[in-house]
Amino acid sequence: MGKTRAFVVADAGPIIHLDELGCLDILYDFEQVSVPEAVWREVGHHRPRTLEAFSALFVRASPRIVSPLVTALTPLYTLHRGEQEALHLCMEFRDSLLLTDDTAARLAAKALGIAAHGTLGLLVRAIRQKTRSRSEVLAVLRAIPTRTTLHIRPSLLAEVITEVDAGTD
Amino acid sequence: MSAVQTNIPDQLLEQAQLFVQEGWITNIDALIVEAMRRYLDSHREVIAEQLIREDIDWGLHGQD
Repeated sequence: MGKTRAFVVADAGPIIHLDELGCLDILYDFEQVSVPEAVWREVGHHRPRTLEAFSALFVRASPRIVSPLVTALTPLYTLHRGEQEALHLCMEFRDSLLLTDDTAARLAAKALGIAAHGTLGLLVRAIRQKTRSRSEVLAVLRAIPTRTTLHIRPSLLAEVITEVDAGTD
Repeated sequence: MSAVQTNIPDQLLEQAQLFVQEGWITNIDALIVEAMRRYLDSHREVIAEQLIREDIDWGLHGQD
């Protein structure tokens, strides 16, 4: 599977959660993943060695322009610094993809026309991208409540597991 | 900030203006922003779950 071309920006959530699950390598099919300064510091605080260990993948980035649209949405969605920087970065490119598990950031991204996906989507995508088998992803999904800080209602996770399990390779 | 033009039922607007006149909030603009913020906060869990479902659909069937 070739590298995908979208300009990819990561918020802290997916980096931390995928690292907790030992699955950060599934992001390698992106050319690179830009990490805003504030996010870089947050990930460094929670997972001190993660970004260095994946230095070929992650690029420290600062937005070159401040989007007035992002600024306008910031108080409405109570966006944190890292989320703001990530959205500013995404606004610089037409075909950007934001990786975030934060609901407010995803809603803001939607309002701005930016594609956004989170840890669960990335894990399931790994089956499609053939970087993980379906059974491997199912095992990882089942481990989410005990191995990660990602919060998901147990019955919803069970639904997700059933849906993924029912898929065909 | 962006400006949005919208239609509000007269009675609802009158009620909102009463809140402003009585000093509960600075103006109608602030009231609408606060109302939107509260709506989004109160629906966050439902929205979060909807976003997760969209994520799974993208993961299974997306093109990128």
